[in-house]
Amino acid sequence: MTLLELINFYLIPGVVLGSIYALGAVGITLVFGILRFAHLAHGDLATFGAFAALALVAVGGVNVWVALPLAMAICGAAAIGIDKYFYDYLKERPKILTVMASLGIALMLRAIVQVVWGVDTETYTRGIVRPETYWGIRIRDRELYTVIAMLGIVAVLWFFLKNTKWGKAMRAMSDNPDLALLSGVDNRKVTMLTWMIVGMLCAAAGFFLGLNTELKALMGWTMLLPMFAAAILGGVGRVEGAVIGGLIIGIVEEMSVLFIPTEYKAALAFAILLIILLVRPTGLLKGKVL
Amino acid sequence: MKLTSLAFTAALAGATALTSHTALADVKVGLLGGVSGPIAAMAPPMLDAAQLAFQQVNEQGGVAGGQMIEAVVGDSGCNPQNGVDSATKLVNVEQVVGLVGPQCSGAVIAVANSVSVPAGIALLTPSGTSPEITSIEDKDTVMRTVPSDDYQGRALARALLERGTKKVAVAYLNNDYGTGLAESFKAEFEANGGELAGYAAHEEGKASYRSNLAALTRDGADTLVIFDYGDGTGLTILRQALENGFFENFVGGDGMKSEAIINELGAENLTTFVASSPVGTASSSLDLFNDAFAGIGGDPNAIFVTTSYDAAFLMALAIEKAGGDKAAVAAALREVSNGEGEPILPGEWKKATGLIAEGKAIDYKGASGDLDFDENGDVPGAYAMFKVSNDTFESIGEMK
Repeated sequence: MTLLELINFYLIPGVVLGSIYALGAVGITLVFGILRFAHLAHGDLATFGAFAALALVAVGGVNVWVALPLAMAICGAAAIGIDKYFYDYLKERPKILTVMASLGIALMLRAIVQVVWGVDTETYTRGIVRPETYWGIRIRDRELYTVIAMLGIVAVLWFFLKNTKWGKAMRAMSDNPDLALLSGVDNRKVTMLTWMIVGMLCAAAGFFLGLNTELKALMGWTMLLPMFAAAILGGVGRVEGAVIGGLIIGIVEEMSVLFIPTEYKAALAFAILLIILLVRPTGLLKGKVL
Repeated sequence: MKLTSLAFTAALAGATALTSHTALADVKVGLLGGVSGPIAAMAPPMLDAAQLAFQQVNEQGGVAGGQMIEAVVGDSGCNPQNGVDSATKLVNVEQVVGLVGPQCSGAVIAVANSVSVPAGIALLTPSGTSPEITSIEDKDTVMRTVPSDDYQGRALARALLERGTKKVAVAYLNNDYGTGLAESFKAEFEANGGELAGYAAHEEGKASYRSNLAALTRDGADTLVIFDYGDGTGLTILRQALENGFFENFVGGDGMKSEAIINELGAENLTTFVASSPVGTASSSLDLFNDAFAGIGGDPNAIFVTTSYDAAFLMALAIEKAGGDKAAVAAALREVSNGEGEPILPGEWKKATGLIAEGKAIDYKGASGDLDFDENGDVPGAYAMFKVSNDTFESIGEMK
């Protein structure tokens, strides 16, 4: 096998897949860090976002790249709504109740997708796109855009968290919610803001997954494990860690085919998750220990 | 106090009225299908075909003394967990007298082992094709109207060799359907001098299979055989293989003969794709079914509609034969289609009930074939190869 083959068929798919995982993992890590629970509806929220974009493309007739920000806005609003009507009600109770509630939300979101959009496999555009070749490296436009968009979205989020008043409030709440409250941070508003951002990230993850493969009602659910593995691998609460974790899981999954039988590829995220929890529970970058 | 007792009496009266109503009116039959999941596009026509059979039965006087058949649809999701959940509900809550379905092999095996066989309920699947189903310890309650993939895998292997394809790579879904089909294909292909350049299973629901495909191309095959579902992972694999130019020719099993492939990838990209599928042999039974199904707006060429119709009609005949006794339905299934007795064609319900009432033997001649069950509850079958033409699948000849 030549180096070009390795790059074209193993590394590039791994990076693209990793970027999608990363977008999901950043959202999971935010919920973990700021709201302190494992959000099991994350995958299905991504499915919802992807199908919202499909509705805009198929019914509204808008360009896919215009549909992305619109779907992000819809999904962000949906996430705020879910928090308002379900999670907020449980916030004083033990966190495990919210985790279980999120599993119920996952089933509800999936049912909504199945009822509204049906159960057939869909795509944003019909037909196939063959890759362009740049100096022997084969890459599709949409793959390039996926990676660039992931980096762009994370960079904006990073800047927001570091430099704005509300970003700082989010980080303060992540460190210590009581202290943040005493310092004048409105926890309710920060929670809503977090859900807005998480919903938008979910929509982006679902959109790029749908763009690179197909849209199915179960697409997000099957991505949940690798996304969680990525968030924990990177260090819970660390945005940059989630990106690194996502890329590592994506690349390792694709590369694994060189060494182990292909049917075990799906188990790899789980294996990584177990090893990281045993060896370095804080994740690669020092995150929270759960 | 007076008000409470009044309300109580009223509730009691209401409840009595309700139970007596359902007890008289319906015989419930479970209709388990992969409504959601990887065969979602195939399932609706199959369920429609089964419903057509029940509709004909109800229009022609109903079953077991004039009771209407009520089909209770359950979603098996095409996987063992959902299949068992739905089947448990159908058997224990809805109290069905028989199950038509599930449609996917993995769900059939799981439902048989943990629900229908312990409960003694007859299970008749229209599309569970895995060779594994043959050997379930089922006390003769699990049967199918579709031939085992043991036949299909071998027929496909011989057909490919006949077309001059000597070297292929196989990618199969790691479940009961994919594994069963792949193993029988492998055995026959290699026994007749074919060479497998790659043979690998894959898991469902991943976003990228490019590394899997790259590994399969390594030994230089130009034909990829995919045993998967065309609404699920099979579509993803076919797309990524086409986009990256991994293989030139593509061959699919019956699971890949899905409209979803044409709708999403476009017929212009599928000129080198062929798929095998069980077909009904031309017969007056098939014509009767085709007319009736087209009459309710169905597409008679959709996959597994003939076997679904036959499964439902056979189930109704068996219930009639058993007099509505659910413990006797499985044995009655054999009696109504064992090659002996007066032939009954699709839709001939009145004739069948008349003969059963007289105590005469009947033999159902189905739209998909004669359906004479062997000792394992399997039926022999015929297959054809299909190519994509004008946005639909077109037969290019029988496979032997």
